[in-house]
Amino acid sequence: MRAALLASALVLLAVVVSSAEQASKIRERDANWVAPARQNSRANPLANRPDAVAGGRKLFHQRCTNCHGEDGRGTTYGPDLTTAAVQAQSDGALFWKISSGDTRTGMPGFSFLPELQRWQLVLHVRSHATRAGLQP
Amino acid sequence: MSVCRYALLVLVVTGIGVASASAQERAYFVTYDHYLEERGNLEIAVASTTGFPKNNESTYTAPWLELEMGVTGWWTTELYLEGVTAGEDGNAFTGWRLENRFRPLRNEHRFNLVLYVEYENVNEASRIQKEIVGAGSLPFEPIDELKQTHAHELEGKLIVSSAIGAWNMSENFIVEKNLSESEGFEFGYSVGVSRHLGALARATSCHVCAENFVIAVELYGGLGSTEGFEGGEQRHYLAPAIGWRTSTRTTLKASVGFGLTEASDRALLRVGFDYELPIRRRR
Repeated sequence: MRAALLASALVLLAVVVSSAEQASKIRERDANWVAPARQNSRANPLANRPDAVAGGRKLFHQRCTNCHGEDGRGTTYGPDLTTAAVQAQSDGALFWKISSGDTRTGMPGFSFLPELQRWQLVLHVRSHATRAGLQP
Repeated sequence: MSVCRYALLVLVVTGIGVASASAQERAYFVTYDHYLEERGNLEIAVASTTGFPKNNESTYTAPWLELEMGVTGWWTTELYLEGVTAGEDGNAFTGWRLENRFRPLRNEHRFNLVLYVEYENVNEASRIQKEIVGAGSLPFEPIDELKQTHAHELEGKLIVSSAIGAWNMSENFIVEKNLSESEGFEFGYSVGVSRHLGALARATSCHVCAENFVIAVELYGGLGSTEGFEGGEQRHYLAPAIGWRTSTRTTLKASVGFGLTEASDRALLRVGFDYELPIRRRR
């Protein structure tokens, strides 16, 4: 039994080490990951609630910065959210992507959060556009 | 000690232990949903099941350690180490388990499937009851006797989970085969409903506010085996649960399962604490 336990521990260790691989540049956005057409037209119910942005910033800091970076400009594990390609997507598309996640790229889904909190995250992602000098 | 007094004591002691750290995303203990561990994250969890049996049998506590790793976005692997202590009946290390969960579909759907495969190397003294299969009550012989009987078991689960608004609904169907005995296949189930409290996130961080809490109810139990349904001998529990995200990386959760059948214990008190550790290096 000890041998089997040791073997399992070694497997786990190997997994840990392999996942700690290093890359050197910001992850590219997967252009093939597209929201279903019917999701694009969904409007953000918080669009006229600027007071909700701060809550979105807090959620982003808690759940997203590990991959997308503090400023949303991306890391080796998550793409830059300030780019024109991301900001050109509709609120509905961003909401769907935040909710669904993508198992292929490792983007976790956040459908367990209440819908309003996911819309707060969309608000915050939009605020990246302003800072990046793009038209939100 | 009564179930309620014991529950209060454990909650207070555990709560004090983590107050300075500052809760679990999911409040489930038995039911699995479709959310896998984030790629590159290691979750370290300690938890325990305390059982209050009927017929004056000794109360027991079965602690376990979980190391859960998100290998990829669609694959999570987990190692369990477990034990048991039952007062004068003794205590023991009861074995280990290695589980893997696979999510075959890329995006979220109305019904999300996860395939689960687990190998267990445990002995008959195991009482963590992370799943319940088959029929019959737990054996209550002295731990020293029970731990002499080892079992190699292979378990599969079909996990179906849905996000509906702020709610999660998950259904697990379990099949287990004891590779050490010719017992046929044993079956079990678990269903759970959970909900995040709160709606809008506050602008400032807070510890004891609704947005950090998840409430849930689980129903789980055994469904007999290929050798017999044994309806009267099955164990079933109904368990309200609560999860509290005490910080961005830590979660405290608790549940009380009420035994619904004669073969069930009177109650199962579960308490757990999770710590999420990003282990990959990003640039």
